[in-house]
Amino acid sequence: MKDVETRPSRYEWVIILAILLASLPLILGFSLLVLSSFSKEMVTNLDLSSFRFTLENWINVFQGKLATTGGIRTNILKVTFNTLIVALGVAGVVTFISALAGYSLSRIDFRGRKHMMVLLLILHAFPGVALIVGVYLLYRLTFPQSPDIIRLYSFFYVILARAALEIPMSVWLMKGFFDTIPWEFEWSGIIDGASRIKVWWKIMLPLIKPGILAVALFAFLAGWQDIIYVRTFLIDQTLATFIEANIEAEYSHMPLIAAAGTLYLLPTIIFFLTAQQILLQGYSGGIKG
Amino acid sequence: MNKINREKFTALSFFLSPMILMVVLFYLVPLVMTVYISFTRMRNWNVEKYLTEFVGFYNYQRLFYMFQHDPTFKAVILTTVVFVGITLIINVFGGLALALATFFISEKPASSFRLLWLLPRMSPIAVYSLVWYYFFHGSEIGTLNSILMKLGVISQPIPWGQTVPWGAWSIIIFVNGLVGVSFGMIVFTSALNQIPKELIIAARVDGASAWEISRKILIPLTKWHFLYVLTWQFLSLLTTYPHIFLLVQWDLVNKDYGTTLALYVFNTAFGRGEQDQGLAAAAAVILSIIGIIGGFITLKVLQFEKMMKRPRGDF
Repeated sequence: MKDVETRPSRYEWVIILAILLASLPLILGFSLLVLSSFSKEMVTNLDLSSFRFTLENWINVFQGKLATTGGIRTNILKVTFNTLIVALGVAGVVTFISALAGYSLSRIDFRGRKHMMVLLLILHAFPGVALIVGVYLLYRLTFPQSPDIIRLYSFFYVILARAALEIPMSVWLMKGFFDTIPWEFEWSGIIDGASRIKVWWKIMLPLIKPGILAVALFAFLAGWQDIIYVRTFLIDQTLATFIEANIEAEYSHMPLIAAAGTLYLLPTIIFFLTAQQILLQGYSGGIKG
Repeated sequence: MNKINREKFTALSFFLSPMILMVVLFYLVPLVMTVYISFTRMRNWNVEKYLTEFVGFYNYQRLFYMFQHDPTFKAVILTTVVFVGITLIINVFGGLALALATFFISEKPASSFRLLWLLPRMSPIAVYSLVWYYFFHGSEIGTLNSILMKLGVISQPIPWGQTVPWGAWSIIIFVNGLVGVSFGMIVFTSALNQIPKELIIAARVDGASAWEISRKILIPLTKWHFLYVLTWQFLSLLTTYPHIFLLVQWDLVNKDYGTTLALYVFNTAFGRGEQDQGLAAAAAVILSIIGIIGGFITLKVLQFEKMMKRPRGDF
């Protein structure tokens, strides 16, 4: 609902201009990064005369040529794939767990329900940095002896540890989505003698698809954008740690890092173009609880 | 009756056990371990050697001593206070301003702007840091430097982040502030959309301007949300560090005046060079205590519990 009918439209462009002005650094920063990835030299100095179009940076990134002279090669496809595994893993774990827990917190009245919801809120606000020291100790203590599965275990662990951070908020979000479904749907199932688990699977989950999509999308982005957990726990490189490690390359290679950064930004841009409503409404759904 | 109870128990354990397992494994156990480490001499993650070497409150005493005498640690504390204070103000009022501004324009540009301001939160942290790394870069490739040089304000590029304390502070506040604004914006937007439209129409008919409507109707009616954003954002600013981590790592900002307490904990435990997990854990415990007290005050002030209604149709 908007302030539409009674709004005098002559002021609208003044407000739009004001927001545009405030957003200028944001627009400038991101577009200069993307632009630089297609240029021989960085154009972040706003000197458009130094822009000379080239695809060289992108080709070099995909070939893993980090230095023009040296023989250092990184398989960027593998690195991108690693990032994708972490993101998909986090999305899967978070969606599954919050779809289960969100239903019971929304629909089943049990002792301790209120306390559990308050606890989730507190956990959401809890300083992640206080946990990560302990989470790392747990990692060290459960580290497998056999070297073959160490890398696999590090993927497994980073996915679970990163997913855990998203769970309190996602459970609240999911609970909010379940709250919007009328009880009549559920009663019809229960009267027919179905168990709660069956009702959840057969009736509720199909009704709540948009909510599941929203939670999965947020969790995917959380896993995709992460750098702290990935650099602390994961043995393999992801795009985040790749950029972190290579920023100190000489100036001449900066456009190459800009290309890697643009590649890393791609899913975010795709979601912005295709899933605007989910991004904008998902948050408020969870916040209202 | 008993059968129903048993069925309910089966259903509940099916729905809740994965979440409970995650909370135990990745919140409760690590929390206990962090507290435990803070009482040991753990360093460089030498688990075999230091895991059982107790030192009592030695790490806490060291922290207290550093707080009094170590200029680096003093800079970190000062940075934390300035960072949290100023960023909080920017986040809350910036979010409110954006929500109000987009409220008064038509839907299409409004959603585009809201989406644009979600970008900092949604983009990969490494890319977001990269954007500001180039923007504030100390040489002439830095966008800010080249703008100012073109305008003739400065003749030489200035390494902004190494200008202590305000240069470094401005950068971390700016970078983190842009991330936080979107939270306030979204909460306030959803609050504004819940306000009955009749109120606004009535005011319009009486000839009120956008500014008067904001001040007399919209802002008073979003008081609860204002408190919510204020307290919640305070808690998250106190403990956030991923968005400034790379800025310090890449030497864009000064190490001492670009490091908040949360980042200090992380770098002490996992950073380059000498690592001191005992000390980091002690600082983390203090940070958690502040966070937990703040969290409980938040819940009491906001009266969250009153909002949690019992499921209406359960039996």
